[in-house]
Amino acid sequence: MKSKILMAILALVIAGLIAVPWIASYFYVFIFTEILILGLFAASFNLIFGYTGMLSFGHAAFFGVGSYATALVLIHLQWPFLACLLVSMGASALLALVIGFLSVRLNEVYFAMLTLAFGMMVFAIAYQWRSVTNGSDGLAGFSLGSFGLGLDLTLGNPSVYYHVVLGIVAIASIVLYVICRSSFGMILKAIRQNPERVSFAGLNVRTYRLVAFVIAGTFAGLAGGLIAPFLRVASPELLHWSMSAEPVLMAILGGTGYFLGPFVGSAVFVLLETWITSFTESWMLVLGIILALMVIFFRKGLLGTLIDWWMEVKK
Amino acid sequence: MKTTRIKNLLVAMTAATALGTATSGYAEEPIKIGGLYILSGSAATYGEFAQKGIDLAVEEINGSGGILGRDIEMIYEDTQGKASVAIQAARKLVYSEGVDALVGLDSSGVAQGMVPTMPELQKPLIITHAATPDVTGKLCNAFTYRISVNVAQNMKAAAMVAAETDATNWTTIGPDYAFGHQSWEFFGNYLKETKPDVNLMSETNFPRFGAEDFTPFIDRVMDSDADGVLISVWGGDLVNFIRQANNRGFFEKDMELMFTVGAATEVLTALGDEMPEGVHLSTRYWYEAYDNDINDRFVKAYIDAYGNPPSYNAEGAYAAIYAYKQAMEAAGTTDGPAVAKALSGMTMEAPNGTVTFRKGDNQAMVSPNWGVSGPMHPEHGIRTLTNLQIFDGEEVARTVEETGCKL
Repeated sequence: MKSKILMAILALVIAGLIAVPWIASYFYVFIFTEILILGLFAASFNLIFGYTGMLSFGHAAFFGVGSYATALVLIHLQWPFLACLLVSMGASALLALVIGFLSVRLNEVYFAMLTLAFGMMVFAIAYQWRSVTNGSDGLAGFSLGSFGLGLDLTLGNPSVYYHVVLGIVAIASIVLYVICRSSFGMILKAIRQNPERVSFAGLNVRTYRLVAFVIAGTFAGLAGGLIAPFLRVASPELLHWSMSAEPVLMAILGGTGYFLGPFVGSAVFVLLETWITSFTESWMLVLGIILALMVIFFRKGLLGTLIDWWMEVKK
Repeated sequence: MKTTRIKNLLVAMTAATALGTATSGYAEEPIKIGGLYILSGSAATYGEFAQKGIDLAVEEINGSGGILGRDIEMIYEDTQGKASVAIQAARKLVYSEGVDALVGLDSSGVAQGMVPTMPELQKPLIITHAATPDVTGKLCNAFTYRISVNVAQNMKAAAMVAAETDATNWTTIGPDYAFGHQSWEFFGNYLKETKPDVNLMSETNFPRFGAEDFTPFIDRVMDSDADGVLISVWGGDLVNFIRQANNRGFFEKDMELMFTVGAATEVLTALGDEMPEGVHLSTRYWYEAYDNDINDRFVKAYIDAYGNPPSYNAEGAYAAIYAYKQAMEAAGTTDGPAVAKALSGMTMEAPNGTVTFRKGDNQAMVSPNWGVSGPMHPEHGIRTLTNLQIFDGEEVARTVEETGCKL
């Protein structure tokens, strides 16, 4: 019964998301586009963080490389949008394979530090390689062409772009969800809880961690490919370590234990940022206080705490 | 039956009158203008000075009947000097706050990212500071105007100043983004044209924008053979740079030093007599360079209100509000495309003289100012400019064909 009600709420939320351009003011079309893209970014991160138990501080590398890939393809080749996204995913997957190969052999803080170091290396390349990446200014001034598949969509129209993002993020989320619920996803959870036991069971923990890392990187690349046409610029900030912190914050804010937690975290993060910066410059201070309270009192995040409370109380 | 008809007519008439009052009531709503400036970080003084210039213009205009009988209301957003932040902020201003027009942009990098999105917003933007030639060049569009001097104009003037000196070995220190790189590129090209025997050194120095420590770059230039240095470091960075250069004895070495935005009063005020004498300083507007009523009034009002002389950024922002007043009154509306159209080719009187937005690229034909730092001003507490040169706006501008702008 309760799971049915939860499904109904989810269906309502999805219907609400589809209707955003018709019911909300134009500005919120942009806000929700950002929420969806960053939500996918955070959900991809949660595959390695929440499920596999690896805290990466370099996830923005894949997000940023995805955004640069789309921007470069749009500038130089003007390929259809879907092709750009595939290039973004491919580029990020390749990078994740290299960084992952070198990083997953380490645990805990060493893994975190190594991913941070690789992330900053990628940032430095984008920042310095002026002839290709346009240095600190980033790549801008590209125009959006066709969507692909022969569909006639005006991607320059923010409402159309929002629906495209909603569709792609929904499909990507379903794929990610299926991965999480598969036996592969179960093994990732087992690795988080007890890696020794998993390896005693005869499974190669390192390979599983690497595959999870590459999948997460690929979906972060997809999110990056979506953000570049939205922001109209692919800049080094998207690769910076502070960008790597955002999915960590979003996952913790929303709850790492539930698949949709990072999306809720993304929504809270972006909405709070939008509202609070209208009143004060010190949005980071407010965020800091909220995060501290969350970690001290609500370890399971907003979504986790809510669902658990509801399951508990209304028995 | 007949009575109902008359009744209906009466109802309709009352409704019409009510509507009429409603529309005229609507006309009293303020005209909203969105300001996009750097309001945090090392260049935040620029945003602050721009706000001061705008506040002055808004106060004057609202005090004398407003625009089309409506008051102006300003709404500001912080761009943080980042293109992605500025683009989101512009969308917020247009779609959420409902602004009628935009002014601002301090950074070339921000301008390059944001300008291509202006036609989507369908609102005019007057750039008051960012200087990259591209936004009134290859990235130009019908909604983007610039009232301030651009890099190409200022570097043409700089090359003319440099050609007069004996320096032959030139290098640069500039921020590592569009502005620093383009300043050096345009300066080098123009200087080579006028003086083909100069050497443009391949060893250039581009510290990160917002870098705290400039000493490695200062030392490197002092160790090199350079006898001429183009310095396009600006804002809080320039203040730090000059202080560190003083400590290193940079100014005692015999070199021609040209600061492309060194006579910004934000910087001069912060430095006081730490700014050395005898270096070439440029600004897009020097408050003592123009002898006209508007300038006299503007400088006096500014000093009365804030205690220090206006900077080029304050002047550009001040003039931009008056440009909107003139354009909106010429168009008779605040409708975005109509106002943008009215700006094209428009001539106005500003503190820095008669300003025309050139039809082909929407760049204002304004004059760069170059001078040499002199003794301290007895009242204003900043360096004076001697040997002041006011270059002709038309003469230093690229032709429309050269800009690459196709409107």
